[in-house]
Amino acid sequence: LRTSRRPLPGLLRGIRIRWIPLLALLAVAALGLALAAGTSGNGQGAAGGMASRAPGAPAPALARQTLTGDPFDLAALRGQVVLVNIFASWCGPCRNELALLAEAQRRWSARGLHVVGVDVRDSAEAVRALLDETGAGNLTVLPDPTGTTAVDWGARGVPETFLVDRDGRIAHWEPGPLTAQWLDQRVTPLMAP
Amino acid sequence: MARRIAASLALAVLLLAAAAGTWRSVRPNGPTDPARSLAAELRCPACQGESVADSRSPIAAAMRDAISAQLAQGHRPEEVRAYLVRRYGPEILAAPPAHGVALLLWAAPAFVLLAGLAPAAVRAVRRTRRTVPAAGHRARSEPAKRRTPRSLAGDGTRRASSRPRPRAAGARIWNISAVCLLALVGGVALATPHPPARPEPATTADPVPGQLALARSMEEQGSYGAAAEVYRTALERQPADDIRLRLAFTLIRSGQADEAERLARQVLASQPDAPDALLMLGLAQRATDRDAAGVTLRRFLARAPAHPAAAEIRRLLDSG
Repeated sequence: LRTSRRPLPGLLRGIRIRWIPLLALLAVAALGLALAAGTSGNGQGAAGGMASRAPGAPAPALARQTLTGDPFDLAALRGQVVLVNIFASWCGPCRNELALLAEAQRRWSARGLHVVGVDVRDSAEAVRALLDETGAGNLTVLPDPTGTTAVDWGARGVPETFLVDRDGRIAHWEPGPLTAQWLDQRVTPLMAP
Repeated sequence: MARRIAASLALAVLLLAAAAGTWRSVRPNGPTDPARSLAAELRCPACQGESVADSRSPIAAAMRDAISAQLAQGHRPEEVRAYLVRRYGPEILAAPPAHGVALLLWAAPAFVLLAGLAPAAVRAVRRTRRTVPAAGHRARSEPAKRRTPRSLAGDGTRRASSRPRPRAAGARIWNISAVCLLALVGGVALATPHPPARPEPATTADPVPGQLALARSMEEQGSYGAAAEVYRTALERQPADDIRLRLAFTLIRSGQADEAERLARQVLASQPDAPDALLMLGLAQRATDRDAAGVTLRRFLARAPAHPAAAEIRRLLDSG
């Protein structure tokens, strides 16, 4: 094997640098790093494309009793725009956006918007108190004590929002808290008849 | 020669110990819970670097419940995994199926190993080739030519005589560090008494509250038979009186009063006047023996006149 002819100074005298193995090792390390960075990047990119919440995918089924005991079925709301908000009373950002959702319901309900909250792993008393407190009593709330409905929708946490169009397809998916601007930009175009 | 044999033996022992240690840390750990092993294969979507089995985030807990519920409904683990991949995308798999360039990543360790071993192998082959004709006197008479033909161009003789020393020293450093590394791995493998039963505390502490929540939601949906099954599983893990009474209540509602009565009596055997147990016993007896039920429910009212169910029971007794 080719080795450096020049002896190194001091303590390292007598040890020759083996360039070929060293370069091979560096090359492999660089390849590994590049591939690792590349695959993690791809993973992030695929997140929106593959899962059930991708725009255009049919919305998962959502049929269960509401907090007030009435039956609810998303399939019966075909022809309306449905905003499905995954929330819980134990989640701070969810508490903050409830007033905004109640306002959206008031503003657009006449034009066919239905706001539905899926209340994940929560107690009925806690969520009733929260709805009273935030003036969001007009929202349809579906208790999901085990969180399996949220999993069915592919929710990654709370709050998370799915906008279902009039054909029952996912139009938009928003992880994290909503803003009035988001609602304006996403809901208004869907409201056009 | 004896030293070489001793060194080889030591190396073999260390390699065996290292292999044993590695096997012990990767082998499947006894009979495993399918729900848990499936959860361990999934990445928690709300956290960084945690599996669904280990994460304390609510969405991971919900995913564990979804897995348990689907397995309880008779779905196979592959079907449940496929369902979750449809919901969350393939990136929730802790080890996504490798394809394309990602496959190269798996080959990298083998490549590194080869790159490390190849020079040693080449040298070993050269040495044996050299020692075969070395039986003759030619090798001994021309040491410089044999070792470094290229260095003959310059001050060959001086270099040739000084070269073996650093090369031998370098090889010795490589060998010593390799043996030290193996000794370290082997030492750790031998010193670790047993892999601590790490998943156990999590599984024993974790599933019962989840199962109780699952059973409660099943009750809310009116599937008492399924809820009773989940309560039974929870009871096996944690034989607690309150779970017994929840199970009894579910059984009464699904029309299995006999077993409910037996459970209520079990609780009463340890706590003779527990109001909830009296309530369950009385409700269970209504199916078989109305008079006995009346006596038990009156005893319940005497014990706990302010119980949340008291008003309902009074109405029941008044109506006969």
